[in-house]
Order: sequence, then C-alpha cells, then structure tokens
Amino acid sequence: MSRHQAAITSDSEGSAARFHPAESHVEHAQNRPTATRPPHRARYGPERRTAYRDRRTGAREGGAVLRHVMRKAVGWLAMIVVATNATYVLASWFLDPRSNYLGTRPIRTEAEIDRALAPYNLDPRVPLVDRWWHWLRDVVLHFDWGKSPVGAPVNDEIGFRVLVSGQLVTAATLLSVLLGVALSVSTASRQYGWWDRFTQLVSVFLFNVPTAVAALGVVLVGIWLNQSLGLRFLYVAGEKSPTVEGLLPTLADRLQHLILPTLSLTLLGYVGYHLTQRTLLLDAIDSDYVRTARATGLTRAQAIRRHALRASLIPTATSLAFGIPAVFTGAVVTETVFGWNGMGQYFTQTIAKNDVHGAVAVAAFGAAMTAIGAVLADIAVVVLDPRVRVN
Amino acid sequence: MTTSVIPSAARPAAGSGRLYLRRFARNRGALLGVALFALLVLFSAFGGLFSPYAPTDADFTALTQPPGAAHYFGTNQGGNDVYAQAVHGLQRSLVIAVSVSALTIVLAALIGAGAAYLGGRVEKLTLAVIHFLLVVPSFLILALVSHRLAGDWRVLIVVLTVFGWMTTARVVWSLSTSLRERDYVLAAEFMGVRPWRIVVRHIIPNLGSLLVVNLTLGVVATVLSETALSFLGFGVQTPDVSLGTMLADGSGTITSAPWLFVFPAGLVVLLTVSMTLVGDGLRDALDPTSVSAASGGAR
Amino acid sequence: MSITLAPAPERPAPGGGPAPVLSVRDLRITFPSEAGPVEAVRGVSFDVLPGRTLGIVGESGSGKSATAMGVMGLLPPTARMSGEVLLGGRDLVGLDDTRLSRVRGREIGMVFQDPLSALTPIFSVGRLLSDALRVHQSLSKQAAWERAVELLDLVGIPEPRRRARSFPHEFSGGMRQRVVIALAMANAPSVIVADEPTTALDVTVQAQILDVLRTAQAETGAGVVLITHDLGVVAGYADEVAVMYAGRIVERAGVDALFRRPTMPYTIGLLGAVPRPDAPQDRPLVPIGGEPPSLVALPTGCPFADRCPAVLDRCRTAEPEAVPVAGHGQVACLRAEEIADGRLRADALFPAPAGSTVDTGTTGEVVLRVSGLAKTFPVTKGAFLKRRTGTLHAVSDVEFDLRAGETLGLVGESGSGKTTTLLEVLRLRPPERGRIEVAGTDVAGPLPADRLRELRGAVQIVMQDPMGSLDPRLTVFQLLAEPLQAVGVDRPAVRARVAELLGLVGLDASVTERFPAALSGGQRQRVGIARALATRPRIVVLDEPVSALDVSVQAGVVNLLTRLKRELGLAYLVVAHDLAVMRHFADRIAVMYLGHVVESGSTEALFTDPRHPYTEALLSAIPVPDPRRERTRERIVLDGEQPSATDLPQGCVFVDRCPLYRRLTDDGLRERCRTQRPALGPAAPGSDHRHACHAR
Repeated sequence: MSRHQAAITSDSEGSAARFHPAESHVEHAQNRPTATRPPHRARYGPERRTAYRDRRTGAREGGAVLRHVMRKAVGWLAMIVVATNATYVLASWFLDPRSNYLGTRPIRTEAEIDRALAPYNLDPRVPLVDRWWHWLRDVVLHFDWGKSPVGAPVNDEIGFRVLVSGQLVTAATLLSVLLGVALSVSTASRQYGWWDRFTQLVSVFLFNVPTAVAALGVVLVGIWLNQSLGLRFLYVAGEKSPTVEGLLPTLADRLQHLILPTLSLTLLGYVGYHLTQRTLLLDAIDSDYVRTARATGLTRAQAIRRHALRASLIPTATSLAFGIPAVFTGAVVTETVFGWNGMGQYFTQTIAKNDVHGAVAVAAFGAAMTAIGAVLADIAVVVLDPRVRVN
Repeated sequence: MTTSVIPSAARPAAGSGRLYLRRFARNRGALLGVALFALLVLFSAFGGLFSPYAPTDADFTALTQPPGAAHYFGTNQGGNDVYAQAVHGLQRSLVIAVSVSALTIVLAALIGAGAAYLGGRVEKLTLAVIHFLLVVPSFLILALVSHRLAGDWRVLIVVLTVFGWMTTARVVWSLSTSLRERDYVLAAEFMGVRPWRIVVRHIIPNLGSLLVVNLTLGVVATVLSETALSFLGFGVQTPDVSLGTMLADGSGTITSAPWLFVFPAGLVVLLTVSMTLVGDGLRDALDPTSVSAASGGAR
Repeated sequence: MSITLAPAPERPAPGGGPAPVLSVRDLRITFPSEAGPVEAVRGVSFDVLPGRTLGIVGESGSGKSATAMGVMGLLPPTARMSGEVLLGGRDLVGLDDTRLSRVRGREIGMVFQDPLSALTPIFSVGRLLSDALRVHQSLSKQAAWERAVELLDLVGIPEPRRRARSFPHEFSGGMRQRVVIALAMANAPSVIVADEPTTALDVTVQAQILDVLRTAQAETGAGVVLITHDLGVVAGYADEVAVMYAGRIVERAGVDALFRRPTMPYTIGLLGAVPRPDAPQDRPLVPIGGEPPSLVALPTGCPFADRCPAVLDRCRTAEPEAVPVAGHGQVACLRAEEIADGRLRADALFPAPAGSTVDTGTTGEVVLRVSGLAKTFPVTKGAFLKRRTGTLHAVSDVEFDLRAGETLGLVGESGSGKTTTLLEVLRLRPPERGRIEVAGTDVAGPLPADRLRELRGAVQIVMQDPMGSLDPRLTVFQLLAEPLQAVGVDRPAVRARVAELLGLVGLDASVTERFPAALSGGQRQRVGIARALATRPRIVVLDEPVSALDVSVQAGVVNLLTRLKRELGLAYLVVAHDLAVMRHFADRIAVMYLGHVVESGSTEALFTDPRHPYTEALLSAIPVPDPRRERTRERIVLDGEQPSATDLPQGCVFVDRCPLYRRLTDDGLRERCRTQRPALGPAAPGSDHRHACHAR
C-alpha cells in the first residue's frame, strides 16, 4: 500500500522472534541472565521435525542453486501475468473511457462515442472477455499495449518513461538498502549510544512524513542550495533539460535531474531498512551463536561483523521484493512533485483520463519491477546463506 | 507432602493492567504522544468553535491572505479560511485513519490467525491471496477503485480497509503459526475446544500487544496513504476537504503562499508522530522482552 | 592425530600442590529488573585446579549459570559484576572487551547448554573451528583447516574430513555438542567452563558427551568447571562439588564427602528428594517444602531459613558465613558442626511424608488397550511443491494394556515414538493402523457425538512444561473452567468443581484469580494436573510431568500424582526420559526404540533384570547420585545415536548399535538379527516381562 506500511510490517516481523506474551516480569529478569530455559522445544511436531532431519549433503551444488533461482523466477513470472490481467479486468470495470468524449463538442450520442472507441478496443458494447482476449493477443504477439481513448498508442508513451522511472526506482532502492543497512550496522554495536539515538530519532521522524511533504521539503532545500551557491546545479523540475546535446553533457544533465528525486525517495525508503535491520541485528547479537563466537575469542564487534550481520541480512534480502511496490508508490508522488515524465506521473494521467490500456501497462511495469527485485533478492539469499546451496 | 503450597510473597498477584500502565507512564515520549494526540482530537472536534468561518465559506474580500487576526491560518486562492479547512480536514483524516485502522486490525487478526490455526488448504489459499496483493502495487488498484467511487470518505474507508489488511494479516499469520504449536493450544484441542473458539480465545488474545501496537501504527499508515491518495486526486475530493487535498492545493504555491502548505503538513506530521510515539510506548510496555524495552529505564 | 598443547602454566604453589588455574573471589553479579535489582550471585568464591573438575550444582535461579557467564565475561552489558576472577594470576573483572577477547578461547573455553542454537548456522563446522584457531594462533587457512579436522576426529565425529564441510543443521544434537567441545578446547585453554553441557541431550548421548569432555580435559590438562542441575552427573564426573542456593555457595566439599555426609540442610534435602535409579521402588521421595526465594530484595538471614527443618531464630538475623568443617569442606550453616558430628541427625531432618510410598496394590479393569499401533509421517522436500521423498515410521508396532489404578511408563530417547504414541491415544481418531480401545470402546468408531465427548472427558493430559501448557492470558479459574465448558457443564457447577479441584491438588483458593505467571513452577504444574482432572477422566496421560521442575519441587508433584491415582482410581500413561523418576513412579514400563516396544514388564523386574540389550544400555547410562557407585559400576556406552526412523533396518531395529550383536559368534543368529524383526516374547513362560531379542 505504501512505504510506511511495508516498513511497519517488516519492523513488526523483525520483532516477531522476540515477541512473547508479556506476563512474567520478575521471573524474566531472573531467567534472562542465567540463560537456563526449560528444556522445552516444540515437541509435538514430528512432521515438521522430520523435514529438517532428512537432509543429504547435496552434490551438484551449482545446478541446484540455478534450479532454485529458476524455479523462483518462473513463479514470479506467473505472478506478473496474473497481476497484469487482473488489473486489466479491474481497470475495465472502474474506468469509463466514454467520459472522455462527454465534454467534447459537438455533443455526440452514446452510440457515436462507442463507435469512436471501437478501433481502440475500448467499445463497452463488446463483451469484456473479447476485449481482454484481443488485448492479450496484441500484447503477447506484437508487444502492443493498446491505445488510449483518444487513439494515442501506449507504447509510444511508455518507452522512455520506463527508463526514466526504472532508473529512479532502482537507484532509490539500492541507496535505501545500502544506507539502511550501513546505519543499522554502525549503530548496533553501540546500542543506545548517541549515534544510535540520533539516527533512530531521524528515522522515526522521516517514517512519519508524508511523501509529498518530504518531496516538497527536498525541493525547497534544493532551491535554497542553488540560490545560496549561486548556480543552477540541482534541478527541481523535469527529468531532463530540453536543449542539451552531446553524450557527456546529456549524462551530466540527467544526473543533475536525478539527484533530488532520488534523494527524496531514498530518505523515505531507507527508514524501513534501517529500523528493521537494526532490530534483526540486535536479535542476532543476543543469539547463542554470537555468544559462542565471543567465547572463542572474538570481540563483540568482531562477532557481530562476522557472525551476526550475515545471518541477519537474510530476512532483509527476502523482504526486498515486498519493498519495491512501496518504492513505486513513492515514485508516483515524487514524479508528480518533481514534474517527471515517468511511469508514476503517467499513471495519474491515465487514471484521470480513463485510459484503461495505459493504466494496465503501468501495473505491468510495477509488477515487473517487483519481480526483478524478488529474483535479485533470491540470488542475494543464496549468496548469503550457504545452506540453500547445500539443500 | 505439603498439602498447601505457601504462595511466595515475591510473586505479584496484581493484575497486569496496572503494570503496563506503570511501564507506559514511565516513557516520556509515549506520554507526549498521548497528550499530542488528545490535543489533535480536541482541536478537530472543537476547533471550529473559535472561528466564524465554515470550511466552504468563501471570503472574496480576502483571497490568498497570509495568516492574520481574521483568518488565523490565512486564506487560499478561493478565499476559503485555511483554519476552518484544517479543522475539518483533520477531522476527516482522523475519522478515516482510526476507523480504517480498527477495521483492518479486526480483519487481519481473524484472517491471519484463522489461516494459521486451520492450516491446510485454507492456509495455503489465504497466503497466496495475501502474497499476491502484497506484491501487486495495490496502490494502483486503490487509486483505480477510489477514483471511480471517490468523493465520498465513507467509500474511502471501505476501500482502504479492503486493500490494507494484508500486511498486518501476514504478521499475525507468522506469529500465529508459532502460537498454534504452543502446548496450551494443543491442550485446548485435547479438551475438545472447538477450532474457532481456540482462535478467538487462545491465539488472538496472545497477540494482543502486537495488535494494539499495530492499531496505532495502522493509524499512521492510513493517514499517510490517505494523504498520498488525496494528494494525487484519487482520495477525498472537492468540495470535501482532508489534509491530503489541502497538501495538494498548497504544493503549487509553496514559495508564494507557504501557509497553504505548512499548516496541513504540520498537522499531518503531528498526528503521525504522536501515534508513533504512543505505539512505541505501548510496544515497550506490553512487550518487555523487546530490545528497546530492555533498557527502557535508561531512556 | 596430535594436538600441540600450550605449555601448562607452571607457577610455584604457595602451600605445596598445584596452584589453582582459576580462582574466583567474592564474585557478585546483579541484574537490573522491573521489580528491582536481581542479586543473581552474592559473593561466590572457589578455586579450580589444573586437570581437576569442580562441579557447581544448583536449581534454576541459584546463580550457577550467571557465575559461569561472569567468569567468561559474557554477561549482558546491563549486569553489574564485582569481585575477582583470577585466571593464571590475572584479574579478569574490569577488563574491557578487547582484553577479555584475548583470554577467551585461548586460556578459557566454554561449552554451552543448547547445542542446537550455539553454532552459527551459516558457516560449516570446519570453518567455525578454523576461525576459532586463527583468532589466537597465526596459522595459514590450510593449516587451520587441518587442525579443525584433527579436532573433529578427537571429539569423535566420524569421517571428520568430509563432515568438516557440513553445516551445523546437518548434525544431530549430540554431534553438535561435540563440535562445541572441540571449539572450547581448540586453543588448549587452561580452564573449560561447561554450562549444563548435557541437559538438552538424551541419556545415552549424555554418557558419550561426558566422555568427550573427559577426553578434552585429558588432552588440554584444563581445569573444568562443570555446571549442572543433575546430581548424578556431578557424582560421576566432579572431583569437588559446590552447591549453590540463592546466589551463594552453601556447601563445598570433595565429591565423596559431599554425597556421603551432606552437611548443609539444603544439600541433605536435595539428596533426599532426588530420585535414584538404583533405589528400591518403595523408597519415598521427600520434597523440600516451599520454593526458592526471589532474588529481588532478599530478606536478611539465611535464604533457606523458610524451608529449613533445622531453622533457629538466629538463622533469620544474619546470613551465615561459609565456615570450614573438619574433614569436609566449607558449609554456610550455623548448625553445620552439630550436623557434622551427629548431634543433629541428618536423616531425621526430612522425614518421609506419611502415605507417600508407592503401593503396588490392586489394579482394576483394562481402561486402555492399544494393539498393533502404527503411525507414519511423510518426509517432504522442497518449499514450493512438496515432493514426498520418504516415510518416517514414527511408531511401527506398539501394543500395551493399561488398567485402572496402574501407571504405565513409556521410556525411550527422543525419536523413539513415545510422544507420538501418546498423541495417537489422545487424538481419539482412528489410527493409521492398529486398534485403540478406551474404556472398552474402539475409537475407530463410528461414535455418536455424545459418546465421543464422553471419551474426550475420559482421557486427559498433563504436559511437560507447565508454563507453556497454560495460556498466559487466562486466570487459574478460567483455565480450570475451560475443559468443563467444553463438555457443556453449566456455570454454577463449574464454580463448584473448580473449588473442589484446587483442594484436590493442594492449592489455596486464593490463586483462582491469578495468572500463571504469578505462580511458582510447582503451583503451575498443580494447576495443570487439576485441569486434567476436571472432567473426571479415567486415563490421565502424563507427558514428562516433572522434567521441567526443580528436584526439590518435583518430589512433591510425584507424590501428589501417586496419591491422586490411589484416591481417584486413575490410570496413568506416562512418558518420561528420566528413568530414575520412572523407577519411583511407574508400576510397569515399556521401553521403546525406533517406534517399537523392545521390552516391557513390571518396573522392578525391568530394573533388576533387564533383558533387552538396549534396556541394559539405557539403565547403565543413567548417572547415579553416588560417586563411589559411579566410579565402580560397569557402564555400557552405546555408539552413535538413535537413527532417523525413515529407513528402518530390515531386522531388529537396534542391530546397528547393539553391543550384544557385536559379540555374537553364531552366524545363524547374526543373520536372524539382521533380517528378521524379533517379536515381543515373555522372558519366562507366563511372565508379564516381555522383550524382543533373538539373542536373549
């Protein structure tokens, strides 16, 4: 739904491991240090336990990994297909292309409007199933995503927009993960030090700021910076300047336009990773195996770096896929604020103009970004967790 | 053998409620959050009494006026009193956020815990639906649906609830899968307690602190979602006013008429920050094993 | 294989004899808590000599584990510690983490309680070991790996070179604990601290692990601090014993002296309360009344005063210092001299409670009959599409009768199928194979709903962990009312029955409105028992009913169960891994291995004349709380661990580990062991004592 909800989820899931009904306080205080727990494990689940017991050290490691990733990728591909088709149905239900012609002069009759829509495969008199089949065939066979209610081809619009939004979402996601994880690592070994408190304060504050407010805040800061430095270095509107030519100037120009939107998306995106990763890392630090590592002679900081961090990154990598829809949502608002001609802005336009095919293309783009993120996440998990390779 | 076990004096018999309250009250941030939230609720309910203007009144003698004695928060391009609009917008946003959050929690608890306990096909199917809705940019679907039905804030509540339960449900589910393995759940099964009664009596109550915390954080999430939707023009729509529509109106004139943006933005942030503080305080009070609570006294 | 050892620290001892490698002086550890500071350790002092073992015994909350963590410098940062921890003459208290890290692993190694969580899951054990070596020694990666393989070999991991590449989750609990021991001894420390090293393991594996620990000690010459709650383990392993109570050492003496002439009343009580596998069944277990005190705001005086039968007024005014007792050790008791010289008779302190003896009296009709019971679980692989790759034969062929007034014990190690058997009985559904009759009714039905509800009420369970089996959000009243409401009892009747139940299990009516967290462990288990009795069952299934309780409390619960059985004519089906408790509790015992009953008979017959080689090994593995017996008795240490029940051997299920099979010379007999599954047959014609072995 939004970055915030994604962040909340992962945060609460991080605390899931240490979530106990909170009753035994005095006793807890006694039990915690001595680390003697009743010898109770899940006794009543032989089904569950056997799956874990029956393992053979796998040969053909590499092949297994590839198969694992491929299987997952196929799953995600299926997800894209289902999501896109579901959006088509929903969009056809909820968007009414006829309303685009209602205000035009000369006033047309309903039949005239329907006739006008017919060449674009939007005629409401044609059964939904037929329109869907027609649309699907065009997409699959010709990669033709259809036309808008006034006949503009969707493909013309999305070509450059995909690139524009793609770089924004990718850059923001990568920076968010890097910043979030780096912050959590830099604070976890000194829990409740000033740096930990400060970063947490900032993150919790950013967590509460609406995307629009944050984006506008970044715009203001950008304008102020430009003014005080006396140059036009940071651009606050558009994704490119219309007049720049040549390869290097173009690149530089694109970069200058990219900085502020990416910054505003990252500021909101890193928060979830920071707070989640901090919790996960603190849980890992409290774990028995970190204690064992310290008992073999590692300092606390070394044990955290070598043992806790890698294990605690695994859930974060898994959650990467679920974070991308949130980034995309953020991108919709950010592109609107910064006047970027990207997929997000296109989305608001298509809905406002009842453009069924355009909206579906945006949904397909969002799903594809999610799937790409998910596959990358799966690969990251394989890299981080050697157990996946063995099984 | 001893026929009567002497109750040990050190183990408190007092109800847990008082203990939670004590822990919560010790957390200054949480108290600040409660105070802020209470002020905002009072403001939204009675703030209108201090201004002669209604949110829809247009004062054509004062267009785009900065804050002053007549119009505390200034006026917008149409001559509407920003103060009156802010009171009304806050009220809208609050009502939407609180009801969506409450409905979402109920839905998520029943679906998540039910799926986890019943297991089998029910669980698989529920999870598939949850995962699907999670990875699909549900914001798009939300925008689609609310665009068509919008204008009406009550419809918005329904739509936000229908597309907002999955995240919490997934958390509830993952915690319930460990709860369903608990001995007391098994014991209840062997006593012949019926499945749904086990869910309602043994599983959901033991997620109580999580649900309470998520209730407050859900308010934050809903405020932000509603703001984003309305900002893009898909949520509450004119002539109705919410904090999100005010942000959208004000964002165009941020340099020339900043008061149009600053006041609603400030209210949104105050609202979300207050609820986050309350949520954090509740988490620490209800769940003393959490990392932040371990040194709660030191904060 | 050769492990190069660091030279043992040689230091002239002041008073002759070897100097202690570890000296702890007046160690105090405090944890902050909601209710106030928890004084977990309050002035503990001890010495550990090279190559010797100090056993620290105590119940939960006595401060023994906190002491271990304090010595290692691994306490959580919120803990406050004072005193001295002298390792080779250097005080470790107050050293920062970097300095301590140079000591940990090199001069002092540690073995932890739970091997399942003690190893980093994402590294291979070889990597873990070679990392541990390279922390303190400059070795090439290759050399460290070689050493790691040697260490794995030393601690008894078969095929060490191949297994070094395996990850922790591919090892069983016992094997993981071997790896943990290898980690602890890797750099040849002068002290090894072992915190409950065998608590999470099965009894035959426990015997193996203690042997590995001995090996590690012999290889390194380290002094060992062995922390445990198990008096039997201490008796067999330690040279000197310190008994802890409420954060203090209340008695410290040589192992023989301590077990022969315990002098602190707490020690005396503890030894009286601990069940012994070698004691005749009619020896009563004598509980120590009351519960250990809370460590928050301890009252002045001796913390044991409230439970002590020899308490004097003076005991409550000041806490007694530990004083030397001639020819014994140190005892923190004002009356130690009186007890030591016999003026106060130790054996009269804790009199056996009246009527606590087991009466092997009359038994009634058969209330539960199980025959040919089998239960399998599919073994699946893959997270997405579950493919069935095998079958786990959790229970293959189980058969027994249970009569009213009788206690039948199912014993066996984890994975033997005993818990699955219990669950099959409790489910009251048609079993996969075989027959279950409850009170003469076959549960395979078809049963009308009211009859099924009646059966539900007739079979109830008491679970192992009283904290886990009671919903923390319900009050005692609600907990006890639940089974009654489930069978449709009305409100006033529920109220009356709850009051009645509390009286039955010896709980005060004042507990009704409390939550489980506000009860002590013993009280919680009594609530669990009361709940099981609510619907007036005929059969009570007890799953490890006392294993989560401390020894001093456990005796009281065992006695309560025995009394209830007699008064209410109940039939008990008990699962327990602790055979010593079983000896005191069960009338008949069935020994299970890999889903099969391999021997059954009366408790006395089984303990005095075990027929099956597995029973023999199992009995021999139980440590006896008597150092002299532990030293002299012959022990059968089985190789390996109970395998997974996915691939059952064609013949006898025990053949792979059977010591008897290895000694067999008759090839025909060996062939039968390998190919024919032996049936349960009477030891003597007409005897109730039956076993399944070709060779006996």
